[in-house]
Amino acid sequence: MISVSLLFEMMLNGIVIGMIYVLAAAGLSIIFGVMDVLNLSHGEVFALGAYLAFSIIVALGTGTGFWIALLLAPIVVGLIGMLIERFALRPLYGRGHLDQALVTFGFLLIIYDARRLIWGTDSKFVPPPPSLSGTVEILGFSYSMYNLFVIAFGAVLVAATWALLNYTKFGLIIRAGSQDRKMVGDLGIDINRYYTLLFGFGMALAGIGGVTLGAYQSVDLDMGHSIIIPAFVIVVIGGLGSFKGAVIGALLVGILQSFMSTYLPFLSGVEIFLIMIAVLLLKPQGLFGNPHWEVPSGDTDFLSGIRGGVLEPQTRRYLGIGAVAVLALVPFGADTLYSAYYVSLMQELMIWALLALSLDLVMGYTGLISLGHALFYGLGAYTSMLIFIHVTPSIFVALAATILLCTLVAIVVGHLSIKVTGPYFILITLGFAELFYEGVYKFDFTGGSNGLFGAEREFGLAGVGVNFDNIQVGVEPLLLTGNDLYFYFVLILVVVSYLLARTLMNAPFGSVLRSVKESEKRTEFMGYDVRGYKLRAFTISGALAGLAGGLYAVVQGYAAPALFHWLVSGELILMVVLGGTGTLYGPMIGAGVFVGFSDWLSGYIESWRLLLGALFILFVIFIPRGLVSIPASLQAYWGRYQSDSPGTGDSTAQTDVSTKGED
Amino acid sequence: MSESSHDRRESDRTDGEVLLSVEDLVAGYGLGQVLRGIDFEVGRGEVVSLIGRNGAGKTTTLESILGNVPEIAGTIQFDGTDVTELSNDETISQGIAYVPEERRVFPGLTVRENLEVAQVAAGNDRARDIDTIIGMFENLQENEQSLGSEMSGGEQQMLAIARALVSGAELLMLDEPTEGLAPYIVRSVEETIKELNESGITILLVEQNVQVAMEVSDTHYVINQGEVVYEGSSADLEENQQILDQYLGISS
Amino acid sequence: MAATDQSETDRSAASTDTTARSAILRTEGLAKLYGELVAVDYVDLSVSEGDFHSIIGPNGAGKTTLLDLITGGREPTAGSIYFEDEDITDLESDELVHEGIARSFQITSVLDGLTVFENVRLATQAIQYGSLSKVDTLIRKAGSHGSIDEQTREILEQIGLEDQAQIPAQNLSYGDRRKLEIGIVLATDPKLVLLDEPTAGMSIDKKHETIELIEDVLADATVILVEHDVELVMQLSDQITVLHQGQILADGTPDEIADNQEVQDAYLGGHTDE
Repeated sequence: MISVSLLFEMMLNGIVIGMIYVLAAAGLSIIFGVMDVLNLSHGEVFALGAYLAFSIIVALGTGTGFWIALLLAPIVVGLIGMLIERFALRPLYGRGHLDQALVTFGFLLIIYDARRLIWGTDSKFVPPPPSLSGTVEILGFSYSMYNLFVIAFGAVLVAATWALLNYTKFGLIIRAGSQDRKMVGDLGIDINRYYTLLFGFGMALAGIGGVTLGAYQSVDLDMGHSIIIPAFVIVVIGGLGSFKGAVIGALLVGILQSFMSTYLPFLSGVEIFLIMIAVLLLKPQGLFGNPHWEVPSGDTDFLSGIRGGVLEPQTRRYLGIGAVAVLALVPFGADTLYSAYYVSLMQELMIWALLALSLDLVMGYTGLISLGHALFYGLGAYTSMLIFIHVTPSIFVALAATILLCTLVAIVVGHLSIKVTGPYFILITLGFAELFYEGVYKFDFTGGSNGLFGAEREFGLAGVGVNFDNIQVGVEPLLLTGNDLYFYFVLILVVVSYLLARTLMNAPFGSVLRSVKESEKRTEFMGYDVRGYKLRAFTISGALAGLAGGLYAVVQGYAAPALFHWLVSGELILMVVLGGTGTLYGPMIGAGVFVGFSDWLSGYIESWRLLLGALFILFVIFIPRGLVSIPASLQAYWGRYQSDSPGTGDSTAQTDVSTKGED
Repeated sequence: MSESSHDRRESDRTDGEVLLSVEDLVAGYGLGQVLRGIDFEVGRGEVVSLIGRNGAGKTTTLESILGNVPEIAGTIQFDGTDVTELSNDETISQGIAYVPEERRVFPGLTVRENLEVAQVAAGNDRARDIDTIIGMFENLQENEQSLGSEMSGGEQQMLAIARALVSGAELLMLDEPTEGLAPYIVRSVEETIKELNESGITILLVEQNVQVAMEVSDTHYVINQGEVVYEGSSADLEENQQILDQYLGISS
Repeated sequence: MAATDQSETDRSAASTDTTARSAILRTEGLAKLYGELVAVDYVDLSVSEGDFHSIIGPNGAGKTTLLDLITGGREPTAGSIYFEDEDITDLESDELVHEGIARSFQITSVLDGLTVFENVRLATQAIQYGSLSKVDTLIRKAGSHGSIDEQTREILEQIGLEDQAQIPAQNLSYGDRRKLEIGIVLATDPKLVLLDEPTAGMSIDKKHETIELIEDVLADATVILVEHDVELVMQLSDQITVLHQGQILADGTPDEIADNQEVQDAYLGGHTDE
């Protein structure tokens, strides 16, 4: 028998968590609805609020310290938000939405590392004021005073925000701006000022959420991640851009989690992703999303990449062959020219290049931005490890099985995901990846939080094979060990994958994908089954990403939950954009530069993520078309410099083009 | 290069005072120049039309006046102030209101809220009383609480004009206000424009439909490929079959 | 409602002479409702094979929605659509293309980032895709399939864009983009073409030029044209349907439409004489 008081308490606990979720999700949703910015740094800002509150209370003591923190932390966080909007996001309005999301990803890295730098890695607890500690009797049950405070305070904030949006001049302009931004400007309103305020307001709400959560449970460095994922889910369930949706979605998720953790503990952690996926499939615009609000098809407006560089295809081919040749020589220099570490670094780098290549097939060619590609990476690694442990040490068998399973999973995930478009696609793929991320912790056969490790691997089939550790080919100084053979194995597979992808993309099949990216509608009315093509592209992409995961397992000999982490997917998008979307070789270069650079940077400074985030933001703002565009830009700039005015830089010209596209 | 010099008709102006003058306007969006030298004037209290085909540069001219075009050269003066380099909110606050192509009413706001946005934009000093304006349009008054998206095409056009009026502007710029409307609604839009002008509002009209332009205005500038190629009264235009054929493709 | 009944009789009178030819397209009680809003109000439309059939009406009359319903761009709330006496109500847009139905859009819809050649080639390829082997579709380089490329060049010649084949579609002039869209439509080898304001924003002589091009290259096809220019429609059409508030106000030959008092009152307002 379940007592009524227990039910009641679970309900109240659910509402407490729900209220905290509201504070995280409301800003995220409004900012997206009005400004079209998918703010990936929202969770970090939330966490920053909690950490600031911690410091304020340490300085001023519990009691008054808490109240001052509750006021001051959101203000500081809000101001930071306003600065971010003003100086990093504003230059990007009129460009693809992906650029804006990527800049906020840069801030995610920066704030995360700043927190680590300032507050360290220990978990923190923000003590609630004495006046709110203890319990109260309600309807015969005793319940935590602080929790009741969170509920009441949250309700007041929700009401205030609702009134702000619906009954003030500020709210009126915000609502008008979300419907037709340019028209608001053409009535003589400087809408940017409102955007800055709104962004700050959304951030401040998250800051309040952070403070409130900090006094509810202890918080740590991973807080940003643990709040933004549910916030995304809630926003999707409620409908992107809907305040009402965010509030109802958050309370629903909070209450549901509270009950699930008692009755279905096995599902706790994954339940919200199952709900999100179900909601998206039944009601693709979320519960309260505007049914008339249509995501622009073709996503050209979500992606601003461009193909091509200045090099002749012939030259590019020679450069490519040259690069492979140089890579082939890498193992020979180990321990003589450089340490063996660089061989394994190059190996890792090639695996990332393969991942970036796989993502480019869907993102650069088909216009589908997947924030869930870590799913296939992790799945590939786990599958290979499971084969090694339970079936055979043969890497051929393992990789074949890996590709097969990833293909099947990609078909299922792709089939469900491509039913939604635009930002919803980004978030549903994220949801699937998180489902696996949470899932691997739950099973014994996946090794829980330890992951899988310690298995024999060998070249060979059916028990006849060679263990890698025993291989030695050649004589000093040209001695190749088993590890070096791994290296060549990876190199060959990456090159073959690239050639395969290139062939497919140059063939009629690939030309249809490019057409889909340009305009889904036109492609469909040419007589192509657009969904079918998207699904095929997603499947090929998933299989290649799975292969990359399998190679990781082959080379490293273990698989851990972190492979599924959404930051992996985020960094992967960074690599593709860094290199230049839709070029295949560009993203591979991007992966190389990204992995190489972060490795180099981490060797010098501890807070390398902070620097990387900052550099990345500058990169997105100033070189939006990726590394491969640099030669062409330089050439254009040089041409312009020679012909006439040196005053107009290339970046302005690019912005202008997109402004025109918007009109 | 331009035929306008032959046909200057300063004498036709009822009131010598110039409200808006555009001189040697060159503008574009980075990819290429759209306007290659636009000159015209709008006297206070006049209705002036810019006519020309799609892509001739009419809308870009309006956008340039508003300060929405990134690359711009030449001089735009409004009421004695040089507004060429001003941002769009600064320009508009001088007293210009814009009724864009396709009306652009806020679909999710009520009729009244649509007008309130203009009121906020103009500020209390300039804005006109919403009730007075809404009283001028019967259909709007009856549907004050309906959403913008629920209005018909003609009603949306009226709402867009009302919204511009609320901002208290002296100059109303209308971009193809009759496009896509049933012919009999076109009539009522024409009437509205005339009434507004009689009430003292200066109007700059952009039209492809020469009949509409002639109906409401007597000063016409024909724009072709980013240049003013002809300037004249309705009577001049009607006589000048060559202009009609060559630039507007009208065979009347 | 009285209005529909009235037009019902008008239409049956008008269509007596067209019943001899078979209807290539028919809709029965076709409707699209958005909540309270009725965009297309249970429309029975019949288009005879080989006709140049125009649909006119003010903005918001439901013209584009009707086209969307017929071409699978939107799901009808009720009713059925028959093409060559086959029920096509549930077919998707891409399947309809293979049945022989193609369309153009009000806002020019071409693949901006791709070349003119690639635009037309993709449409040609769509129709021949089924006949290509897996090797051809997956391995061989696009643009090296003889028959597709040849046909693409032929179409580019027909629409007069052969000299601009290698430039990106976004660099074309407004009129040429419109032509390219007609080329894309043509490349799918349609029996029925639905054109949504293909001459929007053009001057009269350009309009005529474009319409002539359409009549020329699509001579074998049945054409449904949505157009604002009443005069132009009167000159060109074999049949005209007047839509008003989602309903068919009248249906008939240009002369019948010009004489129809209801059309005069509700739509033209005595404006035709100008």
